[in-house]
Order: sequence, then C-alpha cells, then structure tokens
Amino acid sequence: MIAPILEIRDLSINFGGLRAVDQVSFSVERNCITTVIGPNGAGKSTLFNLISGALRPRNGQVLIEGVDCTGQPPYRMQAAGLARSFQITNLFDELTVAENLRLAAQILEPTTKIWRPVRGSTIAQARVDELLERFSLTDKARHSVAELSHGEQRRLEVAVALACKPKVLLLDEPTQGMSQGDTQDTAELIKSLVHDVTIVLIEHDIGLVMSLSDHVIVMHQGQKLAEGPPSEVRANPAVQTAYFGHA
Amino acid sequence: MSEAVQYFQFVLAPQMLIGLVLGVAVILVALGLTIIFGLLDVINMSHGEFYALGAFFALALAQIGLPFWLLLLLVPLLMLPVGYIVERALIQRVFHSGDRHVRTLLLTFGLGLVMEDSYRLVFGPNPYRPETPITGGVEIFDIFLPSYRLFLIIVGAAIIAAVAFIVYRTRLGAMVRAAAFDRDMAASLGVPVQHVYAGAFAFGVALAGLAGVLLAPIYSVFPTMGRDFILMAFTVVIVGGMGSIAGVVVAGLLLSQIQAIVALYISPVWSDPVVFGIMVVMLMVRPQGLFGRLGHG
Amino acid sequence: MVDALTRSMRASHLLLAILVAASLVVAAIGAALGDIFYLRLATEALIFGGLAISVDILLGYTGLLSLGQALYFGLGAYLSALVLMVVPSFWAAIAATTLASAVAGLIGGFIVNRVRGVYFALITFGMAQVAAKIVYNTRALGASDGLIGVPVIDINLGVTSISSGSPVGFFLFVLALIVVMYALAAYLLDTPFGRLLIALRANEARIPFLGYRTMTPRLAAYVVAAVIAGVSGALYPMLRGFVSPELMYFETSGNAVITVVTGGTGTLVGALYGSALLTLLKSVIGSFTPHHLIVIGILFMGAVIFLPKGIMGSIRPAIERMLARGEKP
Repeated sequence: MIAPILEIRDLSINFGGLRAVDQVSFSVERNCITTVIGPNGAGKSTLFNLISGALRPRNGQVLIEGVDCTGQPPYRMQAAGLARSFQITNLFDELTVAENLRLAAQILEPTTKIWRPVRGSTIAQARVDELLERFSLTDKARHSVAELSHGEQRRLEVAVALACKPKVLLLDEPTQGMSQGDTQDTAELIKSLVHDVTIVLIEHDIGLVMSLSDHVIVMHQGQKLAEGPPSEVRANPAVQTAYFGHA
Repeated sequence: MSEAVQYFQFVLAPQMLIGLVLGVAVILVALGLTIIFGLLDVINMSHGEFYALGAFFALALAQIGLPFWLLLLLVPLLMLPVGYIVERALIQRVFHSGDRHVRTLLLTFGLGLVMEDSYRLVFGPNPYRPETPITGGVEIFDIFLPSYRLFLIIVGAAIIAAVAFIVYRTRLGAMVRAAAFDRDMAASLGVPVQHVYAGAFAFGVALAGLAGVLLAPIYSVFPTMGRDFILMAFTVVIVGGMGSIAGVVVAGLLLSQIQAIVALYISPVWSDPVVFGIMVVMLMVRPQGLFGRLGHG
Repeated sequence: MVDALTRSMRASHLLLAILVAASLVVAAIGAALGDIFYLRLATEALIFGGLAISVDILLGYTGLLSLGQALYFGLGAYLSALVLMVVPSFWAAIAATTLASAVAGLIGGFIVNRVRGVYFALITFGMAQVAAKIVYNTRALGASDGLIGVPVIDINLGVTSISSGSPVGFFLFVLALIVVMYALAAYLLDTPFGRLLIALRANEARIPFLGYRTMTPRLAAYVVAAVIAGVSGALYPMLRGFVSPELMYFETSGNAVITVVTGGTGTLVGALYGSALLTLLKSVIGSFTPHHLIVIGILFMGAVIFLPKGIMGSIRPAIERMLARGEKP
C-alpha cells in the first residue's frame, strides 16, 4: 500500500491553557484539493504552522509520504516536499517580483550553483518564467512587491510557495481580501495546479470551498468536527450548528 | 578575633562597600537607559553623554554660586526640556522607519559624538573635581565610609524606589506602560502617545543627568566620563533584561559585586573583561535578560 | 536579461572605477610632488575602507549591524605585526591573518548569531570589548602601548617587489588589494548565496520556508566579513609600523559604521567613498580645529535622518537607470 502523501495523526498544541489544536488526524490524497474550514479561532492557521514546521507540536505526528517529519524545522519540511503560503502576505517587499520567485526557485538548482553568478542559474530562471506566465505576472516581473496591487501580491504569495515544485502545497487563505473577480480567477488557477501538486487549503468563502474542494475538513475549537466530500459535510448538522450557529 | 573575621573586616567588606557604591551609581545611569528602551524601543547610545551633561550643568551652575542641594533638583529639571526636544526633533524623525532599532541607535550614536566633542570644546579635556558636598566619614561595623558615599547609597536607593513607584504604581506610569505595550491601542484609549514617548525619553535623560550631579564629586567631571560609565550601564541593562527596572537593580548590584570581587582576587584590570564576558554569555543564553521587559508581562 | 540586483552591482562597479581612476590621479600627483604624508593618509583611508566593506556586507546586505568589527581588524593588525616581526614576509602575514580571522569569525559567528536584531548589535559590541580589554591587559602584546617597531618589508610579487615604505608603491598595492577584496565580495553577493543574504535582510522569517537554514548564510556572511576586516587590519602595521589597542576599541568599529552609513549601506563601494570622505574631512577640519567630531557627528546624524541610503545609495539609482537604457537594443 502506498502511504498517503500527507498524514496527520493526533496533532495537538496548547497555548497557555488553550487547546489551539487538539488531537487532529486526517490524511490527504494525492493530486486532490483538501480544504480546512472552520470559524475564526478554530485553529486552522495553527494547524498549518504545525504541519509546516513553524510550530512544534506537543504531541502527534506529521508524515509526508509515510516519513515521520514531526517537529522538523521548516527547511526540512520543504526538503521533504512540503511548501506553504501565508495568510498575511509574507514576501521580500523591496525586491522585484522576478527576484522573489528566483529566490524561491533557486533550491531547484544543484547546490554547487549557489556559488556561481546568478545569471548561471538557468533552471531557476526557467521556473521563474514559467510561473510569471502561469500567474499572469510577466508584466510585473521588474516591479517591486511593494508596487503590486493586493490581488497581485496574493497571487505572488502562492507562486513563491509553488516555485520549489513541492509535492504538497499548503495555502493559507490565498484569496484573502481579494475582489470577487480576482477570487474566481485564483480559484481557477488553484484548480489547474492540482495536476502537479497536492493542495491543502484554508478558505473562508464557502461557495469557493464547495466548488473547489475534493475533500473538506471542518475544525471547531481546535478539534476536527467532521470531514468528507463537500456535499456530505454541508449536510452535516453538527457542522451547521458550529459553523452557521443554527441547525 | 579570628583571622577570618579580620579578613572580612579589612579586606572583603571595604571592597564590597566600594562595589555597592559603584553599583548604586551604575543603577542610576542604567535606569534611564532601560526606561528608554523599555518604552520607546530605542537604544540610546548617547545616554552616557546625557549623564555627562548633567555633571557639566552642575559644574557650570556651581561656578555661579548655586549650592549643591539646589542643583540636585535643578539639573534634572533642566534636562527634561533637553530630552523632550531631542526626542521630538531627532528621534521621532527616524522612529517610524522600518529599521527603527538600527536608525535610532545610529542617530543617538552620532548625537553622543557631537555632545562629547562639544564638552571638550567648552570645558577643555581635563577633569574637574567638584567639592564633596558632605565631608567626613562614618564607621559602619568598624568599616570607614566617607559620608558622601553613604549619602549616595541612601539617596540612590530612594531614587530607585521613587522611579519604580512612578512607573509601576501611578496613573502616569500605567499610561506610559500602556503606550509601550501597544501604541495604537493606547492612542485609541486617549493616551497622548507622542507626548508620552517624548516625556519618557526626557525622564530617562533627566535620570542620567541626576546621576551626573550625584556622581561628579566621586568620579570627577570630564568630556569622556559618559563613555567609560555607559559600558557598565549597558551591561547591567542587558543582564537585567532590556527594559526591566527590577532587572537593572538586581544586575547592577550583582555585577558591581562581581567586579569588586574580581578586582580583589584577580586584578582590577580584569574586572571589565569579566563583566563584559558575562554580558556576552547572557546575550547568548538568555537575550531577554534576567527579568522581562517593561510593560510586557 | 540582467536583473535589478545585478544591475545595481554593476552601477557600483562603475562608481568603483571612478574611485580607482581618482586614486591613480592622486598617486600621480603625490609622486610628482614627492608627498609622503597625504599618500600615507590616503592609504590609511583605503585600509579603513576595507574594514567598512566588511561592515557593509553585514549591515547593507545581510541586515546585521555589527558594532564590533574592530575585533577582526585588530586581530589582523596584531597578528600581522607579530608575524612581520619574526618573518618579514607579506604573504606569510596575509596567510596567517586570513586563516586566523576565518577561524575567529567562525567561532565569533557561532556566538553572535545566536541572537537577532538589536541584540546582535549589542553582543558584537560586547565581544569586541572583551577582546580589546584582554589585549589591553596582555603584556606580551605590549598592553596599552601596543606593538612598535614593525619592520618595513618588501612585498614579493614575483616579477617585481614593492616596499611597504614606498608611499606611492604601497598606496597602489593597497588599492589593488582593496579592489580584489571588493571584487570578491561583489562576486559573492551576485550569486544565489548573496541573494539569500539580501533576502535575509528583507524578510528573514520567510527563508526557512524556501528550504534554507538561516544560520548557515548568516554565519558564512559573518566569516567573509571577518576575513575582509582581518586582511584590512593586516595592512595597518605595514603602513604605520605599529599597532595599538585603540585599533580594537569601539571607536574603530563605530567609525566603520559611520563610514558605511554616510557612504551608502548596501552598495559596497559606498564604504570606500565614505572612508575617503571622512578621512578628507578629518584632515581638512583638523587643520582648523581639533573638534572634527562635532562636524562628523552632525554630518552622520544628517545622513541617518535625511539620506538613509547614504551618498552612493542616493547617486546609484541614476547610474542604474543609465545602465538599463544601455541594455535595451
């Protein structure tokens, strides 16, 4: 049996007395979009921080392709094939769009290339050009991040996470603060990525979640409340109570 | 009398007493430094020069005949507007930039250079030794202590207590701590943040000036007087925990004793490297220092 | 396609070429007039410019403010003096200081890189103070007097040799060496490694998620900076014939920071222009009044407030635009 691409077992962390993430387990299928939903404070971003190595879990396990990566720092998680984007845009503001992508793609080069002039990093450059094209940022390649619109910054955030060709991509509210039109475009973009990469998503826009996801995980007060296909989850009375405040 | 008691009385105790005087002196200088860092998030590299400014103010005013006791009150009052203006005119200009730490540090470093060289220009490079306001001495447990040093310990302790009271127990202090913890939140609650920041800087600088007046009769007045002292003050602030008042007191007393003991058992020239070494080790293992930061828990 | 950072570096190269040309003119005039004093002073400016380059690698590229770079400069100066007093060989002195400052930089780097931001500035400051006091207290190193009587040496260059006592010859030699160190630093900063340093300064928190440890590039930058500071320091006793504990004091570290900030952080070449400017100011103002620190302090404060990019940082964008126009077919 092939191990799932990403498996979470009993993952927990406390902040003070608060059980921010409490015994959460699930596994993610290859080339699918799994979406984590839940009200504010449900522990979704904390869960991502635990999976990506930003936080060390108190207990539980994170397995990437069956390999135990629990408590590894983010650069090891990346090496294991996991990349992430951030809810609050987390880029290199004073650098250009192209340079942001090049920095993220340079890990694709053989390590010896790190001591050679940047213009020799042809693999990274090809990846940059490909991403600029795919994320419709070619025109903005020479602009600094600070000059981009909010929507463009959010797109670049996803592109930077994707640049290292990860196996699993965690996207923390990629459409946060986007206009309706931008949100639709981004949803299409994310859908198109799933041929190459397995995606785990945090998303608030329920309409988007239902149309985009193959699998939905509902979190509430640090715990996993329910999981399943979107239609099934939507019909779940417990979810309705927790999420919408009525059954 | 046993030899051990004699050793204590004639060797160890006097050395520890010297250490205590130095400790109180360093705490007085370090208090302002830690308040400015704790509240404004600014490393005031010119703090030593403000300490010197207090001493030079006292020197100049004493020459026109003002008594020492009046200067003790007058000099800190004079320092307040100086500090207020420096904060509003200089520090605020770089306070809101992205790398606030670096730019405020550099700015106050430059200010210190200008101040120090100005003292040399006005007063010349040589040290002045103001008259000791209280002469004579007292014997405590058979140890001779000049009266002025005893006075310094008592007054210093009173000042430290007063500062702690103002910061931790008064409405003003609460306002200032609120501004330090969350600037925007404090502003929305009606705290005049701009004035609080400038006021806190002025307060810290006034404390340095007061230390300058108090310590001048012991350590003399000269243009680079701040430079030598400030290293020790920085060490105390770092070891105690940047921005902690209790930390400054504990670290000040502790480090001055270590310095005194090292001077006794190894050599006075090694007391500085040992104390700075403690600072480096402290930064390595516990950069936040012994105590937490002002306003932050 | 040349990216923006490579183009900035090329603009710095152009500014360096101008500085080198100006230096050659200075050398020619100095030689024609038989001057010694000003050529020696200009050589000293270059040497401290080397120290300032090391500060810029840390501050301007990696985002680390070192207030203790004099530690490595002083280490280089003392070690070079000691070697030269035993074996009067330039290459032996340079080899020894390169090795020693690399090792010291590695050890020091492990200590100081445990902390970030303002604590980094303070720990570098504290570490340099400890080292300076130890040197000051060590009789074998001449204690407060330092080491005097470092012999004039002949630098063997294979085809020819240059005496460290020759004002023009040694000036040109130091110029060449500083250009080599600049070139080394510039090369490194235009590699993916260098870009990683720039990224560290811009947003350290994101680096681990790109698959890199932050400690390794920080440490590497620190070691490179230590070596450049150490080799610059090694030239000092060759020029002046002595070393003193002042070289390790905070004044030296602080001056290097003033130099970089005034000249332009993150430009490399700004360090050299800054050093030339400050040396010039000191000697011009110094001929009127001993209070040059007031002027330099005010100038420095002015730079921090009004010209945060420094002089070269403010000039360079115009050159970058010029270069960008030149690239288009």
